[in-house]
Amino acid sequence: MLLDLSRSKPGSKPSKFEAETLLEWKDSPILFDCREISFDYFLGNTKMAALEKVSFQIRSGDFVAISGPSGSGKSTLLNLLGMIEPLQSGEIALDGHSYSSLRERDRNWIRRFKLGFIFQSFNLIDVLNAEENIEYFVNSQGLGMAERKSRVEDALKAVQLWEHRFKKPHQMSGGQRQRVAIARALAKKPRVILADEPTASLDQTTGREIIELLKKLNTQENVTIVVSSHDPMVLEQAPRRLRLKDGKIQSDS
Amino acid sequence: MILKTAWRGLARNSRRSLAVGLTVGVGAAALFLFDGFNIGITNQYRENTIHSRYGYGQLNTKGYRDQVFEEPWKEWMDGGDELLDQVRAIPEVSAVFPRAEFFALLTNGSITLSGRGQGVDGEAESKFFTTLNIEEGKSLSDQADGILLGKGLARSLNAKPGDRITVLANTTRGSLNALDFTVVGIFHTGSKDFDDVVFRIPIRQAQVLLDTQKIEIISIGLKDPNSWIDFATAATEKFPNLESTPFAVLDKVYYQHAVDWLDSQFRVILIIILLVVILGILNSVSTGILERKREIGTLRANGESSADVMKLLLSESLVLGGLSSSLGVIVALIANETLLANGILMPPSPGLTRQFHVWIELQPFMGVKTLVLGLVCTVVGTFFAAWKVVKMPISEALRSI
Repeated sequence: MLLDLSRSKPGSKPSKFEAETLLEWKDSPILFDCREISFDYFLGNTKMAALEKVSFQIRSGDFVAISGPSGSGKSTLLNLLGMIEPLQSGEIALDGHSYSSLRERDRNWIRRFKLGFIFQSFNLIDVLNAEENIEYFVNSQGLGMAERKSRVEDALKAVQLWEHRFKKPHQMSGGQRQRVAIARALAKKPRVILADEPTASLDQTTGREIIELLKKLNTQENVTIVVSSHDPMVLEQAPRRLRLKDGKIQSDS
Repeated sequence: MILKTAWRGLARNSRRSLAVGLTVGVGAAALFLFDGFNIGITNQYRENTIHSRYGYGQLNTKGYRDQVFEEPWKEWMDGGDELLDQVRAIPEVSAVFPRAEFFALLTNGSITLSGRGQGVDGEAESKFFTTLNIEEGKSLSDQADGILLGKGLARSLNAKPGDRITVLANTTRGSLNALDFTVVGIFHTGSKDFDDVVFRIPIRQAQVLLDTQKIEIISIGLKDPNSWIDFATAATEKFPNLESTPFAVLDKVYYQHAVDWLDSQFRVILIIILLVVILGILNSVSTGILERKREIGTLRANGESSADVMKLLLSESLVLGGLSSSLGVIVALIANETLLANGILMPPSPGLTRQFHVWIELQPFMGVKTLVLGLVCTVVGTFFAAWKVVKMPISEALRSI
C-alpha cells in the first residue's frame, strides 16, 4: 500500500519520516517482527520484570490471541506493539520500520494511520455520539468530508450500529459501546487492530458476538487482529494463540 | 470537529463549567466596570479641570512658564483684539479667554487679606467655565466693577454678594493702585487651595488696576476636545514667539498625577483580578482534566499528539471563556444602564472639598479588551492545568480511573 500525503493532517508539513519513509510505506507480509523484547516495571524501588526477551512474529492478516494469567505480560506486550509503552530493550518493527528509530511525531503518525485500538472499558468520548466518536479519529486523518462520512457509515454498518449512530455512550449497552470502539478502530483502516481484553467487561453472549465480529473483520477486511485475553471463549476462536507466563512465551500455536 | 467536541465538552460536567464560567464572567464584568469607572472618574476630573480653571490649554509668551521674572508683565502679550482674533481664527478654536493674574490685597471693612487675582472676560468665561460652581450670587458677566470671590477667600473676608471690596495692587510701573468692586458671587471649584486665595475681576478692570494693556495668558476653548495637538501645531506655526501648554501639564499636580495614580491603581487591581480568575480556572479545569486522563490517553493512543490534545482542551476553554466573558460584558453593560445609571457618589478626592458623582463610561475598546483578557485567562489557566496531563505517558493516562 502506498500512502499519500492527502492523508496527512491538512496544513501540516510532513516530517522527514513522513516524506521519506511513510510515503514509500509498503505492507510487509511480516507485520510485527519482535526480537528479544524485555520490559520492567518499577514498584517503588522494586523492579518487576513484565517481559523477558520475548521474540515472535505476526504475519499480515493473522488473528492472534495473547493469553496468560494476570501479570503474565499480555497487556504490556500489546501496549508495546501499539507504541503505548516505550520500548526499553529489544526491537519491534512494523512492516519493517523499527520502533526505536522513530521520533514522537512519527509514532503519532503510525498510531493515527496504522494502528487501531480496542480497550477493555471501551474508552469512548462521553459527550460525542456513536457517529461522532468514530468521525473524530477519521477526521484526524485529514480526509475529505465525503470520504469521512463514507468510512463512518461503513464502519457503523459493519458493526450493525448504523441505526444507533446518534446515541451517546451512556445510552448504549456495554456490547454496543464495544462495537462502537471496534467501528472506531475499523474506520481508520489500520494495518492492525490491537484489542486489550475486549470481552472482559461484557457478558458471555455479547463477548462471543464481539469476537465473531473481529473474526469477520479479519477475514472479510483482511485486518490483522491481535487480542489479549484470558477468556477461554476468545482463545477457542483465535486461529493462533500466543501464551505468556511470567513474561515469557510459554507456547505459540 | 474540534469545536463541536469542545462545545459538547462544556456539558460534560455542567456544574464545573458553570463554576469556571462564573469565575470568568464575574471577573470580566468586574474588569469592564472598573475600567469604565477609571475612565469615568478621569474624564470627569478632566472636564472639571478644563471647565473650571484652565480651558483646554493656554497660550503665553515662549519660556514664560519656565522662569520666575522680577517683572513678569514685561513678558506678557499684547492685549489688543488683533492677537485674540488671530488665535480665534485657528480652525480648532471655539473661544479664547484673555487673562492676567496678579497678587493683591483685598479689604472688606476692617479685614485685609492677600489674594491671587485673575482678570478675566467674565461674560465669555461664564459660558465656557461651567463647572465653576457659584455658591452664592451669580457669575461674573458684564458687571464693570464686579468681583467673584473664591469660597475660602470670601469666608476669610467675611464677604457676601453686594459687599464692597477694595483691591490694592502694584501697577506695572511700580506704584500702588486701588479699585473698589462689588461682590457679585462666591464660587468654588472643589479645590481648596484654589478657592482659598483666588478672586476674579473683569480683565479691563485688571488692566486698569495694573496700568497695562497687556494680557498674561490666553485660555483656549476647543470645538473638538481631542484636537489640542492640531491646535498646538497651528499655534506654533502662526505664533513663533508664543507657546501652548495643555491643561494636563498646567494642572500636573492635581490632574495628571491623579490620572497616573488611578492608572497605576487600575493596573494593580487588574493583575489581582486576573490572578484570581486564573487561579479559579486552574483549580476547576485541573479537576476536570484529571478526570479525563483516560480520554486523553485514548486520544493519544489513536495518534493525537500532545499538541492536538492541548488544542482540544484549549478550544473548550476558549468556547467557555468567550461565552463567559461576553456574558460578563453584557451584564456589566446592563448594570451600568440600570443599577449604576445615576453614577456612584464619591467622597471628596484629595485636594477637593465636595462629593461628586462618577459615571461609569463603558467604551467599545474596553469591552474588546475585557473579552481578550477573559480569553487569555482561560487559555493560560487551562494551559497550566493541562500541561502535565497531556505530556504524561499514554499507558499511565490509560490506566487512570
